[in-house]
Amino acid sequence: MKKGAIRESLTGFSVNHPKLVIAIVLLITVGFMTQFPKMRTDTDPKNMLPATSDVRVWNDKVEKTFGLYKDTIVLGIVNGRGILNTGTLGRIRNITDAILRMKGVAARDVSSFTTIDNVSVDGGMLKVGPLMTDVPKTDAGMSALRRDLFANPLFINRIISKDGKTAAIYVPLEEGANGKQVADRIREIVKKEDGGEKYYIAGDPVARDTFGAEMFKLMGVFSPIAGMVMLVVAFLMFRSLFLSFSIMVPAMVIIIWSLGFIIGLGYPIHIMSSMSPVFLMAIATDSIHIFNEFYFRYRERQDKNAAILDTMKAVGVPLIYTDVATAVGFGSLMLANIIPVRVFGLGVGFGTLALLLMSFTLVPAILTFVNTEKLRRVSEREDAGSGRTGRLLRGLAGLGARKPKAVVAFGLILFAFAVAGTSRIVVNNNLIEWFKYHSGIRTADRVLNRSLGGTSLGYMVGIANEDDFIKTPEAMRYIEGLQRYLERLPVVGKTTSVADYVKRINLVLHNDDPKFDTIPDSKETIGQYLFLFSMSAKPSDLDNMVDYPFRRANIWVQLKTWDAQAMRDVIRAAGEYKKAHPIAMEFKPAGIAYFNLVWNDDVLWDMLKGFIAALVIVFIILAFNFRSFKWALIGYVPLLFTILLIYGVVGFMKKDFDMPISVLSTLSLGMAIDFAIHFVSRFKRRLAEVAGEGNPEKEQIVDSLLWTAARPGKGIMRNAVLFASAFSVMLFAPLTPYITVGAFIVSMMMLSSLLTIIYLPALITLLRGWLFKGGPK
Amino acid sequence: MLLPANVFAISPKEIMAKSEAAFYYQGRDFKARMIMKLISAGGQERTRELTMLRKNYGPPGGNQKYFIYFFQPADVKDMTFMVYKYPDRDSDRWLFIPALNMVRRIAAQDKRSSFVGSDFSYEDVSGRNVNDDTHSLVREEKLGARDCYVVKSTPKAGDVEYSYKLSWVDKADFLPMKEEYYDRRGELYKVFTADEVKNVKGFPTITKRTMKNIQSGHRTEVSFTKADYNIGLPDNIFSERFLKQPPRRWID
Repeated sequence: MKKGAIRESLTGFSVNHPKLVIAIVLLITVGFMTQFPKMRTDTDPKNMLPATSDVRVWNDKVEKTFGLYKDTIVLGIVNGRGILNTGTLGRIRNITDAILRMKGVAARDVSSFTTIDNVSVDGGMLKVGPLMTDVPKTDAGMSALRRDLFANPLFINRIISKDGKTAAIYVPLEEGANGKQVADRIREIVKKEDGGEKYYIAGDPVARDTFGAEMFKLMGVFSPIAGMVMLVVAFLMFRSLFLSFSIMVPAMVIIIWSLGFIIGLGYPIHIMSSMSPVFLMAIATDSIHIFNEFYFRYRERQDKNAAILDTMKAVGVPLIYTDVATAVGFGSLMLANIIPVRVFGLGVGFGTLALLLMSFTLVPAILTFVNTEKLRRVSEREDAGSGRTGRLLRGLAGLGARKPKAVVAFGLILFAFAVAGTSRIVVNNNLIEWFKYHSGIRTADRVLNRSLGGTSLGYMVGIANEDDFIKTPEAMRYIEGLQRYLERLPVVGKTTSVADYVKRINLVLHNDDPKFDTIPDSKETIGQYLFLFSMSAKPSDLDNMVDYPFRRANIWVQLKTWDAQAMRDVIRAAGEYKKAHPIAMEFKPAGIAYFNLVWNDDVLWDMLKGFIAALVIVFIILAFNFRSFKWALIGYVPLLFTILLIYGVVGFMKKDFDMPISVLSTLSLGMAIDFAIHFVSRFKRRLAEVAGEGNPEKEQIVDSLLWTAARPGKGIMRNAVLFASAFSVMLFAPLTPYITVGAFIVSMMMLSSLLTIIYLPALITLLRGWLFKGGPK
Repeated sequence: MLLPANVFAISPKEIMAKSEAAFYYQGRDFKARMIMKLISAGGQERTRELTMLRKNYGPPGGNQKYFIYFFQPADVKDMTFMVYKYPDRDSDRWLFIPALNMVRRIAAQDKRSSFVGSDFSYEDVSGRNVNDDTHSLVREEKLGARDCYVVKSTPKAGDVEYSYKLSWVDKADFLPMKEEYYDRRGELYKVFTADEVKNVKGFPTITKRTMKNIQSGHRTEVSFTKADYNIGLPDNIFSERFLKQPPRRWID
C-alpha cells in the first residue's frame, strides 16, 4: 500500500460521503454521552495515591490502631471581647447540641465545652466530668470555668485560644459523610445565633468537598465560556461563522468522547480531569491548520473538494505528528503515581487521538458544506504576502533571519535569567491555597491558625519493641522531650500525647502543685494514672494516643500551615532528637500532613519521569518526522526555551511548583512542539521547492523562512491565539490551580509561538552550514 | 366494672422497677469476680479483672454501697474503688491509688461516662433511677425463647447522651435481655445483650453480657467467673481503711 493511503482514502471517503460520516460520528458521540449520568467527582487528596500505596496502608493502620477519624471539621467561634460570657457560652452550648443531632457527625467524639471531659482538683476532691455542663449563672461559676479552662494545657490552643477570644468545636465525621454538607448545615445553625460572634469553618473535609462542588461548577460554567471565547476569536480570525463552528464541532465531539471514555471506565472526575474539556478544546485548535491551509488552497484551486484533498495532503503529515506528539505528552502522564494525573493523561490522550481521526474524517466532511460564494469573498483577504498579520510575521521572522547573532545572544541572556529563576523553585503543594486568599475557607483557616494550635494534623507514631514499654518513665519522658523539641518549629502550633495525660493526672492528684507537673518515676504509677485517666475521660481520648498493648504511642502534631513541606521539618526534627537522645523506639510519621508530603514528593518524581519520557519520545517523533537528528534538536529549542522561561518566572515569583504546574510541564512538551513541527516541516518543503536538491543559498533560506513565517506561521499564530484565548478564561476561576493552569498555558502558547517565529529562523540561519551539509534534507 | 380491663396488668414503670430490682438489687448483698474485655473495632483487646462487692441499704431502688478491687491490668493491681450510691443525688466515689498510697474522693458529675474505659457507663454498672425516665410499653414479644416486655424509657432531663432506650425485659424473671440505646438523632448507637443467665443461690443472674457501641464498633464483654449472694458482707468493708487494705477473704 502506498504511504498515506489510509489517510487519503479516509479523507476521500469523507469528502464523498460527508453526511454519512457526520451521522456515524454523531452516533458514536451519543454512545459516549450515555455514560455521563454515571459521573462522580473525587477530590479526596488521599485518592491521589492508590489505596495499596505504602503510605495509605500505613496511614490506615495508624487510624485503626488509634481509632482516629479520617476527617474532622473545626468550627471556630471568635468574640473580640472574649468567649467567657453567658451569651457566647450559651450559643456554644446550643450549637454543640445542634451539631450532636446532625447526620454524618460522630456525635460520641465531638469536642466542645459541653462534651470535653475535664479532670481537676478542688479542695482535695477530684472532679471528673464535662468541662461545662451548663452555662455558669454566677460570677463565681464563670471564674471557676475560666480556671478550669486555662489550668488544663490540654484545652489551651485546642478548644480555647490563649487570649480567650477564640473557641473551637471539633466535629469528627463518620466514614463516607460529605464534609461540605455537614459544613453547610453548621453554617445554617450558626446563622440563627445572633450574637456578635464570628464563625469560621475549617478542616480538610470542608476544603475537599467544597473544592469538588466548585470543580463541577467550573466544568459546567468555564468550559462553555471557554468554548464561546474560542468561537468569537475564531470568528474574528476567519470572518465566517460557519468556519468558526467547524472548529468547535470537532472540539465538542472529542470532549464528549474523552469524558465518556473516562466515566465509562469507572473513573471519577478529579481536579485534573475537570480541566480536560478546556485542554481538549485547545488541542482541537490544531485543526485550524486545516482551515488555514484550506483558505490558501481554495484561493489557488477554486475547487472545493480538490482544495480539501490538497489541504489534507499538505497538512496531513504534520497533523499526524503533532497529534501523536500531543497524545504522547499526555500519555506519558500515565507513568505517574498520582492517580488524578494518570486519569487525566488517559482521557486527554484518548481525546487527542480521537481528534486525529476527526481531522481526516469529520473536518473534511464538514468542509464540503462550506458556502463557496462566501468562501471566495473571505479567502480574498487571505494573502500571505500582503495581509497585516502576514507582514508582521514576516517582520518577526526577518528579525531572526537577518540578525541571528543578536537574537541568539539576547536569547542567551534570557536563558541565564531563566536558569537563575529556575534554581529558586520550591516544590510545594498546599491544598488550602488552592482557594483564593479571601475565600471563606482560606480565611477560616488563617484565622484559626492564628489563634489556635493549627488546622493541619500530622502524627509521629512511636513504636517500641515490647508491650507496656510506653508506660515506662523512660518512654514517657522521651515523648515529652520530643514534643517540646517539635514545638520549637515555627510550623508546629501544638502537640498532644499520652505524656500530657499522665502529667495532668499527676498534677491533679497532687492538688495542682506545680512540682508535680512532671512524669512520675515508676511504671506502676504511670499505669495507675492512665487507668485513672480512663475513668475520667472518653475511651477514645486514650485510644487516640496509645495502642492497647501500650507498645505504640501517637503524638499529635498540629501544624499551622498546609504546606507539604511543613511535615518534612517535623520529620527532620524528630530525627535530630532521636540522634541526640537514643532510645529503643522508632518514630514514624503519619496523618494527612504526612500524606500530603508523600504525594507532593511523588508529584515531583512523576514530573521528572513524565518529563524525561516525553522529552525522549517527542525527540524521536521529531527526528522521525524530520528524518534528521539535527533538525529535531533545532525544533526542540523554542520548546525547551519556553518551559525554562516559565520556570524562571515561577522561581522569581516565589510561586509554589505544585501539581498543576508539574503536570503542565510534561504536557507542554507535547503541545508546544506542534509549532516547531509545522514550522520546520513546512519550511523544509518550501525550501526544497525553491532550492531543489542542491545546497541552498542563504537568500533562499531566508526567503523560505519568511514565507513559512507568513503562511503556516499565520496558522501557528492563530492556533496559539485561539489556544490561549480558551485558557485565558481560566484566569478568572475562583480556584487557584485553574488560574495557574490558565496563566501557564497562555504564556506557554504565546512564548512558544513567538520563539518559533523569531528564534527558529535565527538558529536556522546561523547554523545553516551545519544543518544543510549535504542538501536541504 | 368501670375500670378498664388492663388495670390488673403491670404498668411500664412497674416493669422497669421490677427489672431494676432483679438486675441491681438481688439479695441483701452480692459478690462477683468478673473479667471485662474491651475490644476495639480493629480487634485489639484490653482486659480488666475485678471483684465487685455490693450491699443494699434499704429496699430495691434505695441506697447501695459498692466496693471494687482490680486484679488486672497488672499495674493497677490493688487499686480499689468505692461508691456510695444514692438514687436521688450524685453518688460519692473514692479511689485508692496504690502507687501513691493515696485515697481520693471523686466528685462525679457524669453518670453516663465510661466505667474504666469500657462501653458500660457508671449507670450501666450500678443502675439508673426509674424515676428519671418516663416509660411506655412498646410491645410484648419473644426474644429467643423468652417472652419479653419491650419498654421505651425516655429520660426526663436532657443531661444524657441518648434520647431513649428500649429494654427487652423477661416476663418471668424481669432481667433485661437486651437494651437498645438511641442517640439524639434517633439512631441506634449502643446495644446491651444478656448473653448468659445462670441461677445463683436461687437468683437468676446475668453472668455474661456485652455492650456494643454500634457506631464506633467498640464493644465490652463481661463475664462472671464467680458470683454469690447473701454472703454477709460486713458494713466496715465499705470504708477508706479497707480501700487501702482490702481483706482477701472478701475479694478473692
